[in-house]
Amino acid sequence: MIDFVNKPVTRLLLVGLPALALQTTFFAEVKIFGVVLQIMLALSIAAGLAGGSENGALAGFVFGLMFDLVLTSPLGLSALVYGAAGWGAGYLHSRALENPKWLNALVVGLMSGLATFVLPIVANWIGVEGWLSSRLTKVMIVVALSNALFSFLVVPIARWSLAIRRSQRLAPPAEVFL
Amino acid sequence: MPVYSVSRRRAIALLALTSILLITLDIQGNSVVRGLRGVFSAIFEPVQSSARVITRPLENSWRGITHYGELEAENQRLQDQLDQQEGAFIAALATARDAQELLALNGIDNLADISSVTAQVIGGTPSNYSQTIEINQGSDRGLRVGMPVVNAAGLVGRITWVDNDRSLVLLANDSLYAIPVQVVNQPNIVPVTTTTTSTSTTTTTSSTTTTLPVAPPVSSIVNPNGISTTSSTTTTIDLSDVDFGALAPTTTGVIVTIAPGTTAGGPTTTLNLDDLPIAETGIFRGRGIDNSPVVEFIDQNSRFGEVQVGALVFTSGGSQSLAPRGIVVGRVIKIVERTGTSGAVLEVRLTAKLTSLNFVRVLLYQPVATGAP
Repeated sequence: MIDFVNKPVTRLLLVGLPALALQTTFFAEVKIFGVVLQIMLALSIAAGLAGGSENGALAGFVFGLMFDLVLTSPLGLSALVYGAAGWGAGYLHSRALENPKWLNALVVGLMSGLATFVLPIVANWIGVEGWLSSRLTKVMIVVALSNALFSFLVVPIARWSLAIRRSQRLAPPAEVFL
Repeated sequence: MPVYSVSRRRAIALLALTSILLITLDIQGNSVVRGLRGVFSAIFEPVQSSARVITRPLENSWRGITHYGELEAENQRLQDQLDQQEGAFIAALATARDAQELLALNGIDNLADISSVTAQVIGGTPSNYSQTIEINQGSDRGLRVGMPVVNAAGLVGRITWVDNDRSLVLLANDSLYAIPVQVVNQPNIVPVTTTTTSTSTTTTTSSTTTTLPVAPPVSSIVNPNGISTTSSTTTTIDLSDVDFGALAPTTTGVIVTIAPGTTAGGPTTTLNLDDLPIAETGIFRGRGIDNSPVVEFIDQNSRFGEVQVGALVFTSGGSQSLAPRGIVVGRVIKIVERTGTSGAVLEVRLTAKLTSLNFVRVLLYQPVATGAP
């Protein structure tokens, strides 16, 4: 049983389900300047920071797919964008030898803004109209700032969900040895 | 160990390709994708319900803190509106009753005949892009995907996903929402003339387009409290002599006289067909939270003339439409002319305020093409 719980995929689901419940209840109602905060996106990017680009892509895909399953937008759209965001965060993380909390917050904020911008563009490509609008700038700013604040909470959660040990966390990312 | 080994690159590429495959399947309406959503919903529902119970007090506190002043102002404004509309409501009630009688006589679908289920909105949209709400009624109460959702003001959206005891409603301003509608130009309002002659039905012919009936003055009306009031000019309208078939597209004449029935010597109401509102069909389409919905592909003809700002928009119904005829959608607020044969695009302001929905009504209606209502 303990082995089962310690598997990253199980932990991703254990974290993802309550986070999605929070996203569809609390965050769907509590809006900042009319913008819905995106905790699932924050978790995807945090997974990239905590576990590297591959883990970030996997976690982003899983969290995005879960989010897609409760939305009316095409299934796989958020999975694709969140997966790319997780991968991108992991890549950025690998460029730095040290990752203080403020840097994590900065990366989470930047990647959140970027993903929020890319999502309606991809949607437009596949034929979903109406998502690209003047409101997008406001949404990007609010999501980026809120996710930067969330990073202090979601990075440790992502670390736990990917079953990353302290020794692994403190070691330089493997990418630097390439 | 190198991080970007071939196998790892393949794994990332596989995730991307899986996403693209899922998008393709979903857009094509694949049943496996629908099944997947259903299975996930069954797993997720208990978690979501628990979260809703836990977070509800926090949501209420947040609303109390951030919206108190706004709510107070809105309450005052609504009270003023309510006072203004009380009189208009009583008159409208009588008009609506007469319209329903006319529709029934013509065998046309009537909204009042369609059963409905009242539901409470229990969740908003969790995304910044798609416009949905969650309601607390589902397939146990007869709800099906596609059924129209309305509130007292008008069209709200349609059911897009159903579980046993909850459903997801795609709002009318979502970019995936589209429905056939009628645009009703309001002609210059000319008072309906009332004469005392006892002429029987007279009809002449012309190529008229679809017209909406205008209710003649009525004798008795019922106010919201159930008290019947009688007006000073008592008129009983006997519609049994009217040949409604003759009023269809081949009817010309300008005047239709409806004869008095049982009230001998009573006044006769004379309607001028040219004064009646004229309707044309088009396609209503949502355009996201920021942009006003539009009506496109307006099928104009000479009698309809130019669409005017302020024209009313109703659902047009029909065997293929997911909504019955006659649901109020909104008013035209802007007309954007386009070159070529595509016609004008009409920007519409919805009558239902989609940002603050609380209770809605789901009409248990399915078009003839998919099943009986």
